[in-house]
Amino acid sequence: MFHWLEKHPFFFAVGVFVTIAFAGLIEILPNFAQQSRPVIGTAPYSTLELAGRHVYIKNSCNACHSQLVRPFKSETDRYGHYSLSGEYAYDRPFLWGSKRTGPDLMRVGNYRTTDWHENHMKDPASVVPGSIMPAYRWMFANSADIETAFAEQLTIAQFFSVPYNQPVPMRDGSSAVVKMGGSVSDAKALALEEAKAVAADMKDQDVKDAVARGEIPEIVALIAYLNSLK
Amino acid sequence: MNKLYLGGIIFTALMLLLTYLSVGGSKGGLNDDIVNTLAITGAVALVIITVFVVIKYVRQMQVDSASGELADENWDGIGEYKNSVPTGWAVMFLLTMVWGMWYFTIGYPVNAYSQIGEYNEDVAAHNTKFKAQYKEITGDRLVEMGESVFLAECKVCHGINADGIDGKAANLNRRIDAASVKHVLEKGSNNKLIGMEMPMPDRNGLFNTNSGALITDAEIDVISAYVANGMSGDGADIFAGACSMCHGADGMGMEFVAPNIATFTPALVSTVLTHGKKGSIGVMPKFDRLNDKQKEAVGAYITSISK
Repeated sequence: MFHWLEKHPFFFAVGVFVTIAFAGLIEILPNFAQQSRPVIGTAPYSTLELAGRHVYIKNSCNACHSQLVRPFKSETDRYGHYSLSGEYAYDRPFLWGSKRTGPDLMRVGNYRTTDWHENHMKDPASVVPGSIMPAYRWMFANSADIETAFAEQLTIAQFFSVPYNQPVPMRDGSSAVVKMGGSVSDAKALALEEAKAVAADMKDQDVKDAVARGEIPEIVALIAYLNSLK
Repeated sequence: MNKLYLGGIIFTALMLLLTYLSVGGSKGGLNDDIVNTLAITGAVALVIITVFVVIKYVRQMQVDSASGELADENWDGIGEYKNSVPTGWAVMFLLTMVWGMWYFTIGYPVNAYSQIGEYNEDVAAHNTKFKAQYKEITGDRLVEMGESVFLAECKVCHGINADGIDGKAANLNRRIDAASVKHVLEKGSNNKLIGMEMPMPDRNGLFNTNSGALITDAEIDVISAYVANGMSGDGADIFAGACSMCHGADGMGMEFVAPNIATFTPALVSTVLTHGKKGSIGVMPKFDRLNDKQKEAVGAYITSISK
């Protein structure tokens, strides 16, 4: 066999590569596959949350806010449990961000609420004196793009087997089902239902009226997304 | 003494001279610093040992001749002597094998660095220190601790002065405002303020025993103003008739029945921090990441500012 290998440089090179890479192949690859599985308690994004995620990306929130809590006491004190790789299983793309001009938002849903986000997005300095974050008032007027969110849901459900309409395990031992509509109008109805729950906790009358009319302003989708970050 | 040794000695002297000059030329020389002294000693030793080891092997190449029994096999004319393995080399080889086994089975698995492990140790060390340092904290120091926790965690919604930033959150400088009382009277409440589920009925379950009927809009307004005013002013009779059987005649609440609505207490604030609550303004999230002492401290701070 070795004589044969000596006469065939290509296969010899392959053999050398496999030998050298062996430790990596058996140690890194299985571990990587395991670590990228969703952790218990991580559920796919609903239609409205996904639309909010698009608003988040569209406005480059990730340019100033990270979504990655490192395992240091100073960080976990402030932002909650350090991030696990499986928690990003349904993030396409992940929004780790590159620097923190503002605070980390990995678990903002645990310690900020709908009405706070509403005040804050309208005028950040009114709740955080000295904040340099700009106001995002147009989010109260523009409508969220539910069609695109639904299209993404369909795609990831088909090609990445994201478990929509299936029970996913939760931390308390129960299971939750994230619904995905069967058609665009179905998806819009589901999103509107969620939007109503969010708008009920909001103060802005224009937003409440818009949701009552069946429209979904971007701010409602964004807040639904931020509340889902836990 | 041949030329080789002579050359070696001259070269060593030259190197030592250079070393001396460069040290002397640097700022302050050895400067009475142990590290500098060690470094220069090392340099001197290195020069001497290197030169004489090199000389030894050059001499060996000059005078040694090949001898011994040749192995049978030879490779393109290159042969190999059948010398036994050098003892020092063999011992080192065996020791390396022993070390390798130790490293595979114990050395690496037991001592491997783990980021999460370091984090866990860090947190455990901090918690132990925190517990020891603040075990006996009371009075003003507890209030001070509460203020610092408040400024880190709570001011984002309740404001630096705990005034709720124009109604964006509860004003904690007093126990409760009229709008909140009214909201609760009309819609009921179940916020686990006494640490467990104990629903307060909405207006369809609130009787005024004075009149023997459900409470009216007018009575709700009077009670709201009375409670928000710190249990004083008009309305004591309606409060006594509609509220006091659960909240007590003075509004201080009853254990396992109803929370204190007259004043803040550390226990009440702790409970809110543990469970969060939902009121007329909106939702307050729970702050479970604070430890019990911090919750108690926030409670003490809020109790102190709401007087």
